Amino acid sequence: MLFVWREAFAGLRRNLTMSIAMVITTAISLGLLGAGLLAVRTIDRTEELYYSLIAVQVALDEPTSAGDPDCSGPVCTGLRDELEANPLVAGVEYESRDAAFERFQRIYAGQSILQLVRPQSLPATLRVTMADPLRGTEIVQQFTGRPGVRNVVDQRSTVQDLFSFLGSVRNATFGLAIVQALAALLLISNTIQLSAFTRRTEVGIMRLVGATRWYTQVPFLIEAVVTGLVGAVLATGGLVLGKLFFLDRLLSGRLLANTIPPVGMSDVLLYVGPVLVIVGAVIATLTGYVTLRLYVRT
Amino acid sequence: MIRLENVTKVYPTSTRPALDDVSVEVERGEFVFLIGPSGSGKSTLLRLLLREDVPNEGNVWVANWNVGRLASRRVPRLRQRMGVVFQDFRLLPNKTVAENVAFALEVIGKPRHTIRTVVPEVLDLVNLAGKADRMPSELSGGEAQRVAIARAFVNRPLVLLADEPTGNLDPETSTGIMTLLERINRTGTTVVMATHDRQIVDSMRRRVVELSSGKLARDDSRGVYGTGR
Repeated sequence: MLFVWREAFAGLRRNLTMSIAMVITTAISLGLLGAGLLAVRTIDRTEELYYSLIAVQVALDEPTSAGDPDCSGPVCTGLRDELEANPLVAGVEYESRDAAFERFQRIYAGQSILQLVRPQSLPATLRVTMADPLRGTEIVQQFTGRPGVRNVVDQRSTVQDLFSFLGSVRNATFGLAIVQALAALLLISNTIQLSAFTRRTEVGIMRLVGATRWYTQVPFLIEAVVTGLVGAVLATGGLVLGKLFFLDRLLSGRLLANTIPPVGMSDVLLYVGPVLVIVGAVIATLTGYVTLRLYVRT
Repeated sequence: MIRLENVTKVYPTSTRPALDDVSVEVERGEFVFLIGPSGSGKSTLLRLLLREDVPNEGNVWVANWNVGRLASRRVPRLRQRMGVVFQDFRLLPNKTVAENVAFALEVIGKPRHTIRTVVPEVLDLVNLAGKADRMPSELSGGEAQRVAIARAFVNRPLVLLADEPTGNLDPETSTGIMTLLERINRTGTTVVMATHDRQIVDSMRRRVVELSSGKLARDDSRGVYGTGR
């Protein structure tokens, strides 16, 4: 056992520059993978945050908005009852034209757009909270064009842009991670071959005196796995630094504060870190094993 | 201890067989010279005994192993019971004499306390007790070969194979190596030595197995290198 470890570390020392290149490439690849995982996690959280806030808005047409301010006429109550009976719907709230105008004034206080808007230009709405926010389109389809309805808007489609932005960030990091992973794989494979070549006399003697596969091959595998693990640790460290000095500032800045939830240290250390360690070790082991099988005769 | 039954070996790159229907038997504790010109099949025979290669036809037996049919995961077990010595010594240049010998035990997982007692014993046997800490580059050819023999013998093999062990040595040094191999043979270890060295074969008067173009040409129980060759 001791022998195997000693040989593995001797191997890493012997090809020091290769080992360093291997570790750096692996770290970058795993770091990108980690960034991608953090992006996925952030997207999930952001969606959760928004889905609890967003709703489907059924805007009423001009005659209903103007003639039935407290939703007591047959058209408005008919729509409301039907929505409430729908199993997709969690709740329905009525907002009259005047209430909408008040909210509008509140949101855009002090801005010039206020001068242009009259209560008459805002519709009364039935604000529908969905039991499942992802199925808002079904409500849109059912109620568009109904008597008394001006239009139906699923607010989810308006936040979709944000999600698709986050999604492309995630895809880009995963794409880069794969390219880097390929480079890391080739480097690991190459280094094992180099290492096996440097040690061919030794391995030859080992085989002659009856050393098992464990003794002849495991040192090379350990070399690969140590590389993977060190790479994973460095990648996690890099993500911690990235979080502290880049993400934290970005997400607490004026532009994105309260738009995207912050990334927690526990996300980096307890979720992404262990994933990277496992992925790094598994990929390095597989690469090492395949390389030994294909290129190194024992 | 060793039995070849109608063994034929053809290398893919050659049309002529390296060994052609060879049958020969070596008893436990025997000392056998394997002679014949270069390319006669001596090295092939040794490679088959070590399972570096498998025969195309026939069976190779070492102790109770059918070597050619041994599952590859059992090959280490076979090799642990065999020692090999080469013309070019094959010592590890970055290890001392004692480390070179210990290496053979380390890599088959022998415990360290065993290694610590066994290595000095075997270095004593080959008369190198005083040079345990030398590096191979500081040794003469004869000394280097004795280290190689110590390494081959340290795990007390059943069979010691020697492929022209005196090929790089002067006659006087060669005699020393032969004395050592005889001493090892007297411990009960079967020794098979491939050689070109007429003088050694003639002076030892041991069993001589001669190969010629892959065929068994001669098997004398107390032979000489041969006349007129």
